Amino acid sequence: MDRDIPTYSLLLLIAFVLIPLSISYFYSLGLKKDIIWSTIRGTAQLFLIGLVLTYLFDLPPFIGIPIMLSVMITVATFHARKKGKELPYVTLALFAGLVTIELVVLSMWLGFGMISFTAEEVIPMSGMVIGNSMVAMGLALERLKNEFEQNRGQLLAALSLGATPKQAAHLSIKTTLNAALMPNIDQLKTIGLVQLPGMMTGLILGGVSPLVAIKYQLVISISIFSSVSISAIFISMMMYRFFFNEHMQLLKLEDIKKSANGS
Amino acid sequence: MTQSLFEFQQVSRLVLSDVSFSIEPRDRLIIFGPSGSGKSTLLHLFNRMDDPETGHVLLQGKPIEDYTITLLRKRVGLVMQQPYLFDGTVEDNLRFGPDLFEEWQSDEGKRLLELVNLPKEFLTKQVDELSGGEKQRVSLARTLANQPDVLLLDEPTSALDERNIEAVEQDLIHLIDQHRLTVVMVTHSIEQARRIGTKGLFLEDGQIAEIGNIEQLLDDPQSSSLQTFLDKS
Repeated sequence: MDRDIPTYSLLLLIAFVLIPLSISYFYSLGLKKDIIWSTIRGTAQLFLIGLVLTYLFDLPPFIGIPIMLSVMITVATFHARKKGKELPYVTLALFAGLVTIELVVLSMWLGFGMISFTAEEVIPMSGMVIGNSMVAMGLALERLKNEFEQNRGQLLAALSLGATPKQAAHLSIKTTLNAALMPNIDQLKTIGLVQLPGMMTGLILGGVSPLVAIKYQLVISISIFSSVSISAIFISMMMYRFFFNEHMQLLKLEDIKKSANGS
Repeated sequence: MTQSLFEFQQVSRLVLSDVSFSIEPRDRLIIFGPSGSGKSTLLHLFNRMDDPETGHVLLQGKPIEDYTITLLRKRVGLVMQQPYLFDGTVEDNLRFGPDLFEEWQSDEGKRLLELVNLPKEFLTKQVDELSGGEKQRVSLARTLANQPDVLLLDEPTSALDERNIEAVEQDLIHLIDQHRLTVVMVTHSIEQARRIGTKGLFLEDGQIAEIGNIEQLLDDPQSSSLQTFLDKS
């Protein structure tokens, strides 16, 4: 694409940021610092990644792609970990989950000739899959902890009736997955009707025909949907067992934390 | 000499310290004592919802750890202070236990509701439509659905109003007699202890201060701590 956005236009975007900033000031929302910091951080990150991508795109794909994917997966692992750092082996489970999902999705894309093995195609598409999986895993971890804390009574009741941890946790896992997957299901339902997805918009702006853009969007939307579902299910199924000990007794989050620190 | 049903040998866990006693089949043991004395902790050791840190619990002469946990919990049913029903219908709740062991029969729901004096129409009711008393009765029926021979009751009427306490208590007494159940019950109510229990265990600071026939214990306390507790109750 030859067309570029002039720098002065970008600067004008600041005016847009001033609106929420003023609202926060007048209504004393206490968000001023967050708005300014996230705007500066987001802008800097994007410019930095632009520079890195330009460099990586020049490298041979067998070098550039693994480097960038490793960085993405590592950052995503540590970001999602914040939501469940009390749980043992959570870093390992997140990392293994993200690596597996990325490998499966990438093999499917390449195997069915949906994309070619170039940094320009693999990195942005993988970024979307990894990013969405990271959010889903984080949500699932947070929800799982809440479910086990809030529904302790029901879990104890189920165990006392003879349920195994898996049977007792079934209801909590169901609620966890509903919460983690619902935003994605809603998004897929209204795709193209409420908002044109980012990738499709980018391709159309870049001069690609809408029909081709839709094909790419379908590939990415369905890939995201599946990987988000798999990642949330994977992390919930891996982590629920740490809420019980080997004698099928329900543990408290603080005890899990203590034993995780001790191990 | 007949074998005890449960035997606790120098059991310690959290506040509980060096607790030893035994109960026989069809005993109705009431555990009572001040808040924080370890009553619920002790109750949870009977079906391994918790385990002792030191000491041993024997069931029919065998260490309790030798029994399969799920089958032990089926056999030693627990009714908690709050009913903690699962989302769904009353029938979903009643069949939860039997479904785990593939033992549910279609007419079982009606029979269980009859046991706790609820009409059969309740089977299809959503649990959030039930009153507090009805929920506790469903919770009791849910535990009985597993056909336990020991019933652990953790203050089962403490969350109910006066009218419901009496009704649920009547159901309980009737059921215990009918099913020849062994009962271990935690209660704050001395009157309830007298109405339901045959044997009493008074806990203070995690230790057994007195144990014996419930009438004797309540009418003629030997320790000053039990006397003080009864005076305050």
